Amino acid sequence: MRHFLKRHQTLILAVLLLLAMLLVYSFNLRQKSATTLLERVVLAVTEPLQAALTLSGRSVGALWTRYLWLIETQEQNLALSRENRELRASLQGVSETRLENQRLRKLLDFVETDPRPVLPAMVVAEDASSWARTIVIDKGALQGVREGLPVVVAEGVVGRVIKVAPGSARVLLVIDASSSVAGLVQRFRTRGVARGNGRGLTFEYALRDETVQVGDLIITSGMGGLFPKGLVLGYVTQVQRTDASLFQQIELHPDLDFSRLEEVLVLLEPPP
Amino acid sequence: MRVLLLSFCCGLIFMLLQTTLFAAVLPPELRPNLLLILVVYLSLNESFSRAALLATFLGALQDVFSGTTLGLYAITQLMIFMLVRLFAARLNVESRRLLLILLSAGTLMQAVVIAFLLALFADAGAVLQILILSLPAQLLVNLLTGFVLLNLLLKVQPLLGTRLGMAGIPYQSKHHGA
Repeated sequence: MRHFLKRHQTLILAVLLLLAMLLVYSFNLRQKSATTLLERVVLAVTEPLQAALTLSGRSVGALWTRYLWLIETQEQNLALSRENRELRASLQGVSETRLENQRLRKLLDFVETDPRPVLPAMVVAEDASSWARTIVIDKGALQGVREGLPVVVAEGVVGRVIKVAPGSARVLLVIDASSSVAGLVQRFRTRGVARGNGRGLTFEYALRDETVQVGDLIITSGMGGLFPKGLVLGYVTQVQRTDASLFQQIELHPDLDFSRLEEVLVLLEPPP
Repeated sequence: MRVLLLSFCCGLIFMLLQTTLFAAVLPPELRPNLLLILVVYLSLNESFSRAALLATFLGALQDVFSGTTLGLYAITQLMIFMLVRLFAARLNVESRRLLLILLSAGTLMQAVVIAFLLALFADAGAVLQILILSLPAQLLVNLLTGFVLLNLLLKVQPLLGTRLGMAGIPYQSKHHGA
């Protein structure tokens, strides 16, 4: 027996290590919402370094995009000019709608439904893998951030907090393959689930009867209680309907560029 | 102990670069997996037990810097180490080209193991599609970065003078009996 162990000690060590890691992995899969001690320590130690490096990286990136890669700027300029003309044209209609909205709110004694305080945070790092989509922000447990809190920007939903260290937190973006958010089509109020696919979102379980069209806006439905109702998830870019399925397959394009996130807002828990 | 600490610090610096500077200028699929390169290099140059421990620790470090469940990359890096070790015992690892081939094999192995583990233990969802689509770019970028780092290390190593050799030059013969 001893001879056998000595002869195969390297193989035994490798197998034992592998089994131990499989156990660690399967244990942590069950404790998904908990932040491990290792994660807390590494996040806390590396956050200042990541913030400094990210700022330097952004300066280099800005140099590249602003001065050297001007084709993109020109395209953006043209798109913005076009958008500006369209917005000017619709401004008259919007101001009329605003007045009408004010009157109706007063009439219904409308109360702001989301009293949550918001916490601004800076994005200090991105994910180390090529397939997961997460970011690290410079606010953590000390500032009141907890696992599960929603993170947003003016253009819409960014994601939710999944790991928290004292001074930093990791946010799972809505475009991550493991992310799903309850949503609805703004025009028809058709409900569904928006799932990430790495680059954008797909809107699943939307009934085939409602004819969703390209350009329709998908917003959060507020179901599940995580995200407040009415936050923008994205615009419909593709719709597929088949006779064999009860649901339609909808592709969404988020209204924000997740690769250029710099500041975000964490929606904190409402005060008791 | 010194090698363990140095390798771990090196891994930490690689992770910081990957999540900050590279993230600012490159899309996810075009960011080189520096830790994978380090694990392949250590698998060829260190003793079995030391390299196995380092691969596991570095994998755990990558788990922390990724949004993944702790243990996923630890298993993956350990399996890459085993694959490299299996090949290294049978082939002439003094060849620089072989190191690059092993790096390609490691990149493929990483995608396969992650896909397998996610499909087996968790909800893989669209991850498989993302992994397959990003694999060619990842292969190319890892090879290019591995080539650059190898040449850089060969130039820097004589200045350090602490250890003679590295993957691609005669030092390996001590471990692999060439």
